[in-house]
Amino acid sequence: MKKVIILALLVPFMFMMVGCGGAKPPTKMSNVPEWYLNPPSAEDAYYEAGDAAKQSMGLAKEAADARARDAISRTLEVKVSNMLKNFMQESGIGAEAEALEFTSSVSKQVANTVLAGCKIVKREMKQEGNIYHAYSLAEYNLNSLVQQTLNEARKQKALYNEAKANLSFEDLEKEVQKLEAVGK
Amino acid sequence: MKTTIQISTILLLVFLTEISSQTIIPSWFKKLPDAPTGAMYAVGYCGKYQNENSAKKKAVDVALNTLAKQKSIHLKFYIEEINDGRMSLMNPIFQLIYEKDIFDEIRDNYSVVDSSITTDGYFVLIASPKTKKNVTSDDVNWGLPPDWVQNTPKSEKWRYGIGIAAKYSNWTKAWRDTDEYARFDLGKNTSINTESIIVIRKTDRTGSHSKIMRQDYDMYFKDSIIVERYYDAKTNSYYSLCRAPQ
Repeated sequence: MKKVIILALLVPFMFMMVGCGGAKPPTKMSNVPEWYLNPPSAEDAYYEAGDAAKQSMGLAKEAADARARDAISRTLEVKVSNMLKNFMQESGIGAEAEALEFTSSVSKQVANTVLAGCKIVKREMKQEGNIYHAYSLAEYNLNSLVQQTLNEARKQKALYNEAKANLSFEDLEKEVQKLEAVGK
Repeated sequence: MKTTIQISTILLLVFLTEISSQTIIPSWFKKLPDAPTGAMYAVGYCGKYQNENSAKKKAVDVALNTLAKQKSIHLKFYIEEINDGRMSLMNPIFQLIYEKDIFDEIRDNYSVVDSSITTDGYFVLIASPKTKKNVTSDDVNWGLPPDWVQNTPKSEKWRYGIGIAAKYSNWTKAWRDTDEYARFDLGKNTSINTESIIVIRKTDRTGSHSKIMRQDYDMYFKDSIIVERYYDAKTNSYYSLCRAPQ
């Protein structure tokens, strides 16, 4: 009778243990795309990978894409500011003295770029239980970058020419005013 | 009592039709054929209706709206992610605007070039301006995932965007959203403003990593067409490929 009671108590406990263990499928590293771990390299393009794990497949894709593009913008231009604070103190006498040292560092990285023609060239979606894990690979062709720089230069030139034209017109107006003043 | 049972049965049938996974679709819904010069094709779809005319009307309405979006669309996209190492907040905003004048112009000059009824609903292919050319289609299944699901196509002539959505209970809403996501993806691949700040704080005992990231664009597109679709029944996920000239 005693054995039956012990068995009756053990069986649900074992089921609970099995249930708890089965809820989380183990994540295999082999599932990670090769291009995520080792992004390709090329002389005429930048590659950066991004990933995100979300419950919504759409959101996982958006986040992974955005992170890959952000990594590209950081590769192109990043402003870094660092601050290091060091605090040292010793109190007490001789061997009984206690030293206190405290270091605090803050690093701030700011990136702000317009990416023209930065494409997500590869994408993989893995399902880990209820979670979608999206991996994205962004490619930024240097030709796009050159084109963007040229466009910017053209824009600047157009602005300069416009300003110059306006200036000449103002000068002309001044000259006319001067002439009018002489006539009076 | 009898009426209640009948209504319940109809509602249940409608619900089951809406959630049923798509197995057979017309070939032009999977891959849009090239339209004759000067014309543009668009597909429309809807779930099952008891009245076939109502279904056709609804599907044509979807196709007209799709065609208006294809001709000219204004897209505004904004995404923000705030991450402090412990929690992550993400807020994407999608805004899509298309002109009523273009829609009216299409409505006044279009023709239905093919239509199909499957177990899931009604599909229609329209052309604008009106064309006499008809398209013959086969009913096909989705088959194996195409390459563009994982690798965005590269072309000198076209720009591409891919839309992904999953776990929708209503397949018509799923396709509507997937198609729009593909259009927004096209915009992101064209030009996007990126801005981010990462702050790393370290002390002897603690360390924290916080990040704020923002990306946005505001653009107009002409001739952005959903050229291919794929449905993965295993994961109940939908994929659309959008294309626009370079």
